[in-house]
Amino acid sequence: MIAGGIPLGDVLLASGALFVIGLVGALLRRNAITIFLSIELMMNGANLAVLGYAAALNSVEGQVVVFFVIAIAAAEAAVGLAIFVALFRHTETIDVNRINLLKW
Amino acid sequence: MNLTDWLIAALRVLVPVLAIMLVLPIPMWLERRGAGLIQDRPGPNRVGPFGLLQPVADAVKFFMKEDLIPSNTDRFLFVLAPAIALFSALTTFAVIPYGPAVTIDGREFPLVGADVSIGILYLFALTSLSVYGIVLAGWSSNNKFSLIGGIRSSAQIISYELAMTTAAAGVILAAGSFRLTEVVSMQTGTWLGFIPRWNVFPQFLGFVVFYVATFAETNRVPFDLPEAEAELVGGYHTEYSAFKFAMFFMAEYVNMIVVSALTVTLFFGGWSLPGYEPQGWVGVIVSALVFFAKTAIFVWIFIWVRWTLPRFRYDQLMRLGWKALLPIALLNLLWVAFLVLKGWLP
Amino acid sequence: MTATRLVFDAAAALAILFACVMVVHRNPVKSVLALVVSFFALAVAYVLLAAPLIAAIQVIVYAGAILVLFLFVLMLLNVPEEGRQGSSRPIHQVLSGAAILVFGAALLALLRSHGATRAEPAAFSAAGPSDVATTSRLLFSEHLLSFEALSVLLLAALVGAFALARREDQA
Repeated sequence: MIAGGIPLGDVLLASGALFVIGLVGALLRRNAITIFLSIELMMNGANLAVLGYAAALNSVEGQVVVFFVIAIAAAEAAVGLAIFVALFRHTETIDVNRINLLKW
Repeated sequence: MNLTDWLIAALRVLVPVLAIMLVLPIPMWLERRGAGLIQDRPGPNRVGPFGLLQPVADAVKFFMKEDLIPSNTDRFLFVLAPAIALFSALTTFAVIPYGPAVTIDGREFPLVGADVSIGILYLFALTSLSVYGIVLAGWSSNNKFSLIGGIRSSAQIISYELAMTTAAAGVILAAGSFRLTEVVSMQTGTWLGFIPRWNVFPQFLGFVVFYVATFAETNRVPFDLPEAEAELVGGYHTEYSAFKFAMFFMAEYVNMIVVSALTVTLFFGGWSLPGYEPQGWVGVIVSALVFFAKTAIFVWIFIWVRWTLPRFRYDQLMRLGWKALLPIALLNLLWVAFLVLKGWLP
Repeated sequence: MTATRLVFDAAAALAILFACVMVVHRNPVKSVLALVVSFFALAVAYVLLAAPLIAAIQVIVYAGAILVLFLFVLMLLNVPEEGRQGSSRPIHQVLSGAAILVFGAALLALLRSHGATRAEPAAFSAAGPSDVATTSRLLFSEHLLSFEALSVLLLAALVGAFALARREDQA
């Protein structure tokens, strides 16, 4: 039902752009939750690339891979946010520059 | 694509949306008069005969009222929340079939907004988006009661979503497809000549779980603690007035209609009538009317229950969703799997 | 320039735009909402890439559950907007910027070697199976072990999150 006609290059460019934007957010923001959101964005960029190749190579395995990635991202988000909540209760801040008790 | 294709595509999209918007005054009127009937009082009867123009009066009131936005809040989120609620309520109707396939120019078109292969998953996806409307409304109202109401309501919705989707999974398992058109065509015909092949008979537990969960999903009594007047003023829509409140109001009724239509499609045969083979355009119109009537019955049950049952306390509500409905839905899934393996369910 | 390509480009552009909004915005709640829109646009892109099941799962799980969890945590912690004080040390920002530029250049070179930026790259036809049954069949036959391991992982995450986030003074 999908007529095709999407060049793989478009998909890869979009996925690369999403990945780089996520990288910018992960490196340059100070709010821990925003950093986590940027990492999720990077994962979505990767998902898009995998699905692009799955469509280009006519394989369904790519969709299975992305299925697992999404589910694992859910598990990781739950645990990561639990860590943030516990951390916030102790340190009263969410700025990653201030959470530096383990530094020498 | 020629003109006929464009026209048909446009009609398939517009008909469900317009139909719902046009039908909307009926539950509004039915709610007020039905409440009066159950509470042994007349209900609105001044505006038009039998109060039939009451929804019109309500609409005029909503347009004329002053539109307030509380200070110290995020205006963008405050205005966005009812839009999200209404958007997700209206777009969920796209996958529910309201009639058999019509043949135009030798091609068959099922009477559904979009016959996608993911069918009911699309509906669940949009229901999960409706949580944002409620959470944002509670958050951006800058009001303790709204916030509590919003958080409670969204926690309730995501909890009962699980029971609802597990109960629906039983139907999907029996039908072998996510498409609701296939679910309906699986329920045509009869057993033993007079019992219709509706899913409510082999999967009665699933139906009960699903229907109770839909009450919780639409925030209707007995699960409407998040908007209970006595406890929380108005819950997440306390601070909303005039047209934005009207959007929440409409979203609630549209949700009610969509969820009743879904119950009818999954468990009661959708547009099919046992023993009736729809032929040509007459068949289509009769089937659509049958679908409308069945949905109307379930909408009436929503209203009936509202004015009959007391509401659950919040902890009772959550306990019911997680500890009672979810295990029963899983049991139902096992039962359906057994039936399908044995070949007793097609 | 077929209609499919047009819609895909539009969806991808929308996703990238809102991703930028997410990264730039000060208020974390607005960041989450921008990401929701971005993920929704990505789901549209997934449908066009003949993966409707993944698109539905993206909206149900990613946009509809994970980001709602983010929103709840933000409201619970009442996270303030990112202010000007306590800014990162300049050396950190310069090094990060340099690393991103190097990485971006490397990525672009990689994509170019795969023919990504040529004028009219080879189009593919997504004529392969695009319905739910094929993916599910694969999931439950070849990848059954991973699937079951995934459910154990989710259970572990559930228990772990609960154990991490509860208050110390509870019995």
